[in-house]
Amino acid sequence: MTQTPLSSIDLKDGRFALSYGRDNANLLSSIDAAGIIEPVTLLDRKPYIPVAGLRRLDCARALRIRSVPAVIVDIDEQEALLKAIHANIERGYNIIEKANALYKMNRSGFSQKDILSSMRYLDLDPHEKVLKIFIALAGLENMYKDFILKNTVSLRNIGSFMQFDISERRKIVRSLAGFHLTESTLREIFEMLHILRIRKGKLTAVDIPVMPNADSLRAHLKERTHPVLTSLTRKLKAIRDKMALPPGIDIKVDPFFEKEYIDLVLRIKDVEDVRTALAKISGFADAGYLRSILELTKGTIR
Amino acid sequence: MSLQKVQFVEHNTDIIRQCPGTKNHICCGYQTIDLIEGCVLSCSYCILKAYLKNDVIKVSCDRDAITGELDRRIDGSAGHVLRFGTGELSDSLALDRQLRLNEFLVDYFGNKKKAILELKSKWADFRHLLPHLNPYTVISFSVSPQRFIDAEEKRTSPIHKRLKAARLAQDNGCFVGLHFDPVVIYDGFERDYRYLIEDIGRILDPEKIIWISLGLLRFPAALYGQLIEKKRRYLLTGEFIRGEDGKYRYIKPERIRIYKFLYKLLKNIDSRLFIYLCMERADIWKEVFGITINDNQGLIQLFDERIKNLYGGML
Repeated sequence: MTQTPLSSIDLKDGRFALSYGRDNANLLSSIDAAGIIEPVTLLDRKPYIPVAGLRRLDCARALRIRSVPAVIVDIDEQEALLKAIHANIERGYNIIEKANALYKMNRSGFSQKDILSSMRYLDLDPHEKVLKIFIALAGLENMYKDFILKNTVSLRNIGSFMQFDISERRKIVRSLAGFHLTESTLREIFEMLHILRIRKGKLTAVDIPVMPNADSLRAHLKERTHPVLTSLTRKLKAIRDKMALPPGIDIKVDPFFEKEYIDLVLRIKDVEDVRTALAKISGFADAGYLRSILELTKGTIR
Repeated sequence: MSLQKVQFVEHNTDIIRQCPGTKNHICCGYQTIDLIEGCVLSCSYCILKAYLKNDVIKVSCDRDAITGELDRRIDGSAGHVLRFGTGELSDSLALDRQLRLNEFLVDYFGNKKKAILELKSKWADFRHLLPHLNPYTVISFSVSPQRFIDAEEKRTSPIHKRLKAARLAQDNGCFVGLHFDPVVIYDGFERDYRYLIEDIGRILDPEKIIWISLGLLRFPAALYGQLIEKKRRYLLTGEFIRGEDGKYRYIKPERIRIYKFLYKLLKNIDSRLFIYLCMERADIWKEVFGITINDNQGLIQLFDERIKNLYGGML
């Protein structure tokens, strides 16, 4: 280990940089208080090329530290990249960092077999299809990477997102920015957008408007991909609104209007509750509400 | 025709099975003889794509075991006529010219005279079977408009060849079956089906069409993602919902509309045609045909009556 002047290191050389989306604030405070304890790894070139410890070097520069403890290694670039990947394996990588690692291995001439086997220690399924998604992910613009990271988008949804073209991706991210998105909401939104895209050939701004929340966007898309279902759902809501169901009675209708029956659910505490509920249900039947709901399940109304 | 590997495998004990059917959908009670697992035709919507793990086509044909099992089932089925087919996990005819798997079955059913073998296909060549054909073998074809075949059934025979082959079967003393399955909603599909049904009326003898099935496109959830990924526009135009069995199918009002449309066109050919719905709910039967079928037995009974009428009594 040597104490190496910062001026002899090419701090702009990020060929082995993997970190993405990490906040340096804590590291900065720590280095400011105690200095760099763990030496950085540098490739023995002129100037030195950072292999591991790039965030520490960033902090050192920010703190105007003149020299840092370093281990100088004279190895080829493939070995150096492996060293860089393994240096932080214990800390763990986020999905973009994993993508960066695989992308860089691919670019450095590692065989497909070697890259696939390295996926295991990155905690990934070693499949070609997965690798393809990760390599494409590394090449995305930062706005997409940030979106993926912020929403902890799953690999499945990333794969789905990648199938949109560049201008569509931009519209999608703009439309979804700021929403709280669950995995299933995102999957559903992407699925509907794909359907629209397949039917129309291309998505336009009308298909992906900026809406107040994810539910509004989902409803907007549903109306376009599922017009009959949307119409039936609205009709059901209108009937329910008229019925003004009391708290102890519920009517459950198949959300896809497939089942030809409906369930009436009663919550009772005593016999009197039963009598009251039955009288109420009888009133719904006399007023034609139940028949109207059943009509919706028969497939004769659109 | 195909680069897929054909592999002969050990006899599978479940080689003859009752069609699994699906929850709350009425099944015709067809029994399957799974001689082949996998298909060279590779239609884009094929559910085998979701079920089978690799591209290898597995052939299993222990003739003695199969005929023994057929004997057991047919002899034990007093009261109604069993219908068997080889087209569940593969196409019945696509590889048959090379593999000659159907000949012994056709001969078996011809000798047995108590049950029916249905060879379902999208492949229009069965000339090698002509010397074996008998009235107990039904040659059936899936039928779709040519435009759809060009887009989604690329390796199959064109529709005019399928219809010509069906006519050849009729001319050789066989009944034929027609399966409008899958019926798919795409721009202009109504016009295409109208022309198709006109062609059927012109080319085939309706008296020798034993049955016609109608089945709108449906597929397991696993296939939905694949269809989206492959941008299958023809297959994704309609409005899909998840059925009670978990499969994707068109929303009910659309299914009813299309079944009624096809039913009317077909009945215009000949009002005596026997038309049934493949894997549909009881209320759809009621709405489309105006008849009440509550369960599988109700449909099986209709088949028995149909066979009785055509064959002059129970087999």
